[in-house]
Amino acid sequence: MNIDYSQEAPAVAGRLTLAEIEELVAKPLDTRPDKKYFIALSISGSALMIGAICLALSFYYGLGLWGNNQPIGWAFDIVNFVFWVGIGHAGTLISAILFLLRQKWRTGIARFAEAMTIFAVMCAGIFPAIHTGRPWLDGYLLPYPNQHSLWVNFTSPLLWDVFAVSTYFTVSLVFWYIGLIPDFATLRDRTSSKIKKTIYSLFSLGWRHSSRHWQHYEKSYMLLAGFATPLVLSVHTIVSFDFAVSILPGWHTTIFPPYFVAGAIFSGFAMVVTVLVFVRKIFDLENIITMDHLEKMNKVILATGMMVGYAYGMEFFIAWYSGVQAEQFVFVNRAFGPYAWAYWIMVSCNVIFPQLFWVKKFRRSIPVMMVVVILVNVGMWFERFVITVTSLHRDFLPSSWAYYTPTLYDFGILIGSFGLFFTLVILFTKSLPVVSISEVKAVAEGAQPSHHGGVVNA
Amino acid sequence: MHNKNLFGVSALFDSPDKIISVAKKTTDAGYKKFDINTPYPVHGMEKAMKLKPSKLGFITLVFGLTGSFIALLFMYWTMSVDYPMIISGKPFFALPAFIPVTFEVTVLLATLATVIGMITFFFKFPENHHPLHDTNYMKQVSKDKFGLVIESADKNFELEKVKEFLQSLNPIAIEEIYYQEKANNSLLEPRFLTLLFAIALVTSGTTYFVLNKLLYMTPFDWMSTQLKLNPQKPSDLFSDGYGMRSPVKGTVAQGFMPYLAKGNPNPNSNDLLENPYLITEENIKLGKSKYLTFCSPCHGNFGDGDSRLRGQFPNPPSLHSKRAQDFKDGMIYHVIVNGQNSMPSYAPYLNHEERWSVVNYIRVLQRAKNASESDIQFAKKENVKNASN
Amino acid sequence: MHQTDFHYTHKELPTGLKKFGSIFLIAGLILAAVAFFVDRERTIFNYLIFYSMLISLGVGSLFLIALEYVSGADWSVPFRRIPEFLSGILPLLFVLVIPLLIFNHDLFHWTHKEAVEQDAILKGKEPYLNITFFIVRVLAFIAVWVIFYLIIGKNSSKQDSSKDQNLTRKNIIYSAIFIPIFAITITFTSIDWLMSLEPHWFSTIFGVYYFAGTVIASLAAVTLIVVSLKERGYYQPWITDDHLYSFGALLFAFVNFWAYIAFSQYLLIWYANLPEETFWFLTRWEGSWSIISILLIFVHFIVPYAVLLSQPAKMNPKKLKFISIWLLFAHLLDIYWLVMPNMAEMKSGYIFSWIDFVFPILGVGFVMLVFSFFGKNKNLIPIGDPKLKRGLNFHL
Repeated sequence: MNIDYSQEAPAVAGRLTLAEIEELVAKPLDTRPDKKYFIALSISGSALMIGAICLALSFYYGLGLWGNNQPIGWAFDIVNFVFWVGIGHAGTLISAILFLLRQKWRTGIARFAEAMTIFAVMCAGIFPAIHTGRPWLDGYLLPYPNQHSLWVNFTSPLLWDVFAVSTYFTVSLVFWYIGLIPDFATLRDRTSSKIKKTIYSLFSLGWRHSSRHWQHYEKSYMLLAGFATPLVLSVHTIVSFDFAVSILPGWHTTIFPPYFVAGAIFSGFAMVVTVLVFVRKIFDLENIITMDHLEKMNKVILATGMMVGYAYGMEFFIAWYSGVQAEQFVFVNRAFGPYAWAYWIMVSCNVIFPQLFWVKKFRRSIPVMMVVVILVNVGMWFERFVITVTSLHRDFLPSSWAYYTPTLYDFGILIGSFGLFFTLVILFTKSLPVVSISEVKAVAEGAQPSHHGGVVNA
Repeated sequence: MHNKNLFGVSALFDSPDKIISVAKKTTDAGYKKFDINTPYPVHGMEKAMKLKPSKLGFITLVFGLTGSFIALLFMYWTMSVDYPMIISGKPFFALPAFIPVTFEVTVLLATLATVIGMITFFFKFPENHHPLHDTNYMKQVSKDKFGLVIESADKNFELEKVKEFLQSLNPIAIEEIYYQEKANNSLLEPRFLTLLFAIALVTSGTTYFVLNKLLYMTPFDWMSTQLKLNPQKPSDLFSDGYGMRSPVKGTVAQGFMPYLAKGNPNPNSNDLLENPYLITEENIKLGKSKYLTFCSPCHGNFGDGDSRLRGQFPNPPSLHSKRAQDFKDGMIYHVIVNGQNSMPSYAPYLNHEERWSVVNYIRVLQRAKNASESDIQFAKKENVKNASN
Repeated sequence: MHQTDFHYTHKELPTGLKKFGSIFLIAGLILAAVAFFVDRERTIFNYLIFYSMLISLGVGSLFLIALEYVSGADWSVPFRRIPEFLSGILPLLFVLVIPLLIFNHDLFHWTHKEAVEQDAILKGKEPYLNITFFIVRVLAFIAVWVIFYLIIGKNSSKQDSSKDQNLTRKNIIYSAIFIPIFAITITFTSIDWLMSLEPHWFSTIFGVYYFAGTVIASLAAVTLIVVSLKERGYYQPWITDDHLYSFGALLFAFVNFWAYIAFSQYLLIWYANLPEETFWFLTRWEGSWSIISILLIFVHFIVPYAVLLSQPAKMNPKKLKFISIWLLFAHLLDIYWLVMPNMAEMKSGYIFSWIDFVFPILGVGFVMLVFSFFGKNKNLIPIGDPKLKRGLNFHL
């Protein structure tokens, strides 16, 4: 297939009119959910319940139910946290960084990715909250004048995490809501149901599509994108600091910040592709979330996958180059020790399989894409597992070496977090427009004056 | 009661090119209070409408800087002033470690201020009762049409003229938009007040329940019911039912030092210890602080026996008496350890070094009270030296 | 689209380029020769800075070209020739590297056999840090860059006449292959030339740190040339604020990126406080070096950040010109800060010397001449590129 480079690929395929775009996106909100919807919801709901039960038992009996031991004091709790925060990076990346880079293809997927960000950060937030063992006392993490006259430790990366993740959640939510306001107004004006209209009016705040408002609105979007971009980097950077400021070999390495960010984008994009493949099929959005968009996402997956691979290589090389014995031991132990299986799952899923995306045919094939992105999700979960557990399990003293085996409760809570995520995603698809109506309209063919800003060029 | 007033006249168009030229013509015709409504932002509209650049960025800048400043100041105050603590060998004001939180607070404050500022000051939202709502015009521009409204509040507004002007632009439709006046203050509406009251009730109820009830229920109270030994409390673990145990016979506690004169009010001078500490500035400082804490309430700040206890406890004799001056160091030590007359033992409060430092300090006090001429000359010299430094 | 009738008329580069280039080059060469006899060690260290700067400009430019192809960007197409001319530095590196290879003994502690024998850590690094492998690596990396430079550059200039879209497709593929190779080569280049100056020290992020600097330097050089040519009327009438804004925004982004990487590296080492890592920063924090370290923070981050923060500043040609010269200097200072504290006599504190100013003069002249040589008979705009029209009509 030959591409004509002199033409920009259209962001919306099939020459849809503005009304058709709106019709397509709003359809799921106007129709009653079918049987399949409830089946999907009950599956994810059951997973959520499993997690809730395991969590309740963990609260009741204490964290002794988990597999954590000495010296592996951090295990599934932190692994799942980093995994979900990572997933949560794709949304803001797509909505903010691609916005700043003027990538029009982001419009079709931005809303969904942002929603996934918010849900993923919610899932992530569970784990630091529960790993304290007594989550009802987590309020102590806030710096408020308390009866102990103590302040929180501002030099601790764990506290930076509290600030970073809560800021990230708030800003993502605000960003998402700002994007939804015009869509709420559109939905308000097209619905005939009185209840729906009241709800949409409430959330639209009385938006009138006024050009005098659009001007500030676009400016605010720009400013928010400008802040969200360093914010998204800072969040996973700070997560990496949780490990890297320590002196533990395998954790303390200076490449961690950019490496974690690249990994987060990698896993986030993989998760977005996983979900979008279904969404575009089920809701007939193939013209709005086109194969071109998926291909571009797969390219990003390939690129970030190689960045992650670069970091693996760099860590190994510098561990050898450093001449520090403990450092060298940890990396050899990673690749050939008791957890070698986890390490090689990580390497093959994150570095080897994504190489399939060098071939255009594979980038554009739904089955290949599905296999690869699911493997990437698995691989990225294992990456965090490898970093956390293998660095800890062979302590400096051989007398305190141990092997970590997760218990059923650990798995139950992990399943529960997936349940929460997919329950929220499924509810979202039927309650809010999964694609930004106004943004997609704005990039549809013929939606802009024939030469942009005609005044300038006239 | 309700008057129907004209809000303005609207016209609909069907292409982005058209609306841009319409906006230009409307501006050129001298209308100021008009608006263009489009389902999405149309590029170039700002220039066509001659809008001034958005000033939103100023809010962001001001609040962003405020955020950085507040965060840094707060961390400085908590970590270096209010409760300084050495953490992993870092300075109290560990700037590199404060940067992440400063950054996050900056972003949080800047973005929230931008959005809230935009919605409240720039848009004056929420405003669900604007005359344009629920009109056919609004429904069309919400979907796929591009609209122009010229408001009746405009200086040049004359209904017929405006209609004529709009007609000349070749619109798809023209609509007059009316609104009904409403005159009551929505803040005093009973529904709103009830809502406020309900929120207050729920918030206070929840807070009370959580803080005073929930935290004392199982499993939240497991901290206080754990299987452990509590001091001064009985325990089922031991057959005698006592929780606290005495040491096993023959064991010696860590740091224990035998003291032969223990318990003897008139000790043999051979049993008394020799002062092992030199009089150094450091030692005297320690002695001073311990003396002021433990001895001065009865013996007085300078050892004159001027108790601060106002007769609640018998006044001790002066430390400057001949008898006290003639005490050997070991004897003063003995009095501290053993007590004398109504003075109890201070052994539990002062360790070995501290007791001797108090002895040394008492010697300093005694010398100061009975200073010789040479002492005074020396002190004067020292004062001059210190003053000149 | 009323600008589709774009006609390119070939216009020679300003003659001043060659004239001033030659003056600077000759002056620089004479001063360098004097400097060499006055203080050989310092001259060699300065030469290393000059060489690293040229790598930054040459490979960085090639990376910018590859990035344009891979990302499908259109706004930068009309300016692509400028990084193409600049990456003409690459083949010359084969010659330029020779003095460094000859005087490697002055630069690298690990080349001293007797020192390595007594140092268990350096002994452990010998399989990597030895002269033979070092030279092989250095030459192989230059060769790889030159190959990609020749292929991509040739395809691009061939397109001027043939207007063959296939060439764009080919270049996209080559660029995609080049980028991972670039990542690896630039990393090991930075380890070889800069990190191994202090052979006991190590940092995994170092390659990324140097990469951030190279992109800033090459981008600043391209921006500087674009703005200068614009001032002389080369890009009229089609160049818009939006083109300039894109340069400004990218510079701003990479200034932040550099600060992010530099801060991450510093924070992690400062926080963990391991003696095998902190000593490197300590050298740069003791005595008069602390002034240069603080200066670096201001020059490389705070000033450019403040200048480029506002939206109008990013499209203001005067400010762009100022800040791109500033950033070129900042990158020079950055390399200076990496290299110079490793000189034996400078370890305990900064010592001023006029020699430090010789190579910047030489470098300016050299780059001007390279640019005018490669730009001589070529079109200043890739007129056959299918994306050109989109680039010319670019609007945000």
